[in-house]
Amino acid sequence: MKKLTYFPGCSAHGTSEEFDSTLKLVLKTLDVELEDIPDWNCCGATSAHVMTENLAYALPMRNLVLAEKLENTTMGIACASCYQRMKVTKVHMDENPELAKRINSTVVEEGTYQGKVDVKSMLQYFYEDIGVETIREKVIKPLTGLKVACYYGCLLTRPKKITNFDSPEYPVSMDQICEALGVTATEFDYKTECCGASFSISNTEVVLNLSGKILEMAKESGAHAIVVACPLCQSNLDMRQPDIEKQQGVKYDIPVFYITQLMALAFGNPVDQLKFPKHIVPVEGALANIGKVAPEPEKVKKPIKAVEAESEVK
Amino acid sequence: MITLGSQGENTFLEAVNKKSGANVLDCYQCGKCVGTCPVSQYMDFPPREIMQMIKLGLRNESYMANSHWFCLTCSACSGRCPREIDIPAVMEAVRHLAIEENYINDSKKVKEIRKFHEIFLDMIKRYGRNYELRMMAEFNIRTRNLFKDMHLAPKALLKGKIPLGVKPLKSAKAIKRMYAIAEKLEKNN
Repeated sequence: MKKLTYFPGCSAHGTSEEFDSTLKLVLKTLDVELEDIPDWNCCGATSAHVMTENLAYALPMRNLVLAEKLENTTMGIACASCYQRMKVTKVHMDENPELAKRINSTVVEEGTYQGKVDVKSMLQYFYEDIGVETIREKVIKPLTGLKVACYYGCLLTRPKKITNFDSPEYPVSMDQICEALGVTATEFDYKTECCGASFSISNTEVVLNLSGKILEMAKESGAHAIVVACPLCQSNLDMRQPDIEKQQGVKYDIPVFYITQLMALAFGNPVDQLKFPKHIVPVEGALANIGKVAPEPEKVKKPIKAVEAESEVK
Repeated sequence: MITLGSQGENTFLEAVNKKSGANVLDCYQCGKCVGTCPVSQYMDFPPREIMQMIKLGLRNESYMANSHWFCLTCSACSGRCPREIDIPAVMEAVRHLAIEENYINDSKKVKEIRKFHEIFLDMIKRYGRNYELRMMAEFNIRTRNLFKDMHLAPKALLKGKIPLGVKPLKSAKAIKRMYAIAEKLEKNN
């Protein structure tokens, strides 16, 4: 049995509780034991780094120091924002011991930062430490027929020099995991476009516009659903979807799954454990595609303008 | 007269470079960041112009722009910047300097963004973790917009999407002390 130090993040007890609970189901199947960081605190994302440098490093550092006390040396983080803040802090502290010393002075009782814990997002952990092949082996009920757009958002792969994982422009790790589950991942160009992130409350107009474009492109890619690995992306795309539809006058009706919900489903967990009722956009329509044989793909028609342009050349 | 590249005299450029770890002078104004930025259309000055303003030493104008408040740190720009400048770090440096030097942009949007972040930090100070429902309620009260997002409330609360309470940290004192020390460090910098 593998062990993994776990940082759930605040939203795991709130808006993304379904991510946290299905993640635990998945790790049970994959034979990984989670060990919570005792008395972890909020990482400060995104407000701490917006307002002040010291606190932005101090809040994650306390968690890193606490994690170092556990035996295991890899920390898995569910939330993409928490992952980003934790990883940025780790990279900057390891590069700059003087800065590390200064920030460490804010963490009085917990101990000294040593930099011995590796920080990974859960997506990265699945892809690098578990492996797509192992995931494929555990599939009992392939989700064939379901087509999804894998949406990574900004923080799981960017900036490359911090995350050092997958492509910052067109990542494929989640697509490959989906394909191992029998799901078809569509060609989706908005994989790493920003959803508006923390503006959800303070600047909703921006979120409606940015998330609206993502929904539009996902629908256009032929997906029945969107798959994410970030609580903020999920809440912006799912909870705000009715508002976006109202603003744009379009009906998208495209549910937004966490990757762990689909994994748990394919691993044979009963549907009532997957927290689908928590979704604002109902999931039943998309899930009904599972088991259906996909029709032959239509031949792609060239846009009229391109055809005209070609004939002009001749 | 404004002389480009006169690093010695441009104290603003120096301060931004020092704080961000980037070299703004590397920017050759190609504008790729502007095309990439998901929020550039909302900014007073898009990232490319901010970079030039820093080079020209336009301290007040840079501080008072809403650009650094709208930056979402999505890092799309820096990934595509041909000069590999960490533009989000530059934006952050300008914002931090503006806060430290008490520059206040009082446009409605910037005030709301700033208020949100202040409330968020206050939640962490109090509970060690974020208390989502209270944060949303306080935001509505403090921005005098009581009914914002209320149409989401019935569904979100009923589905347990937003829990009513928060489990505070056992060592909440440690966080309060951290805030106090961090504040002192900020002043000493």
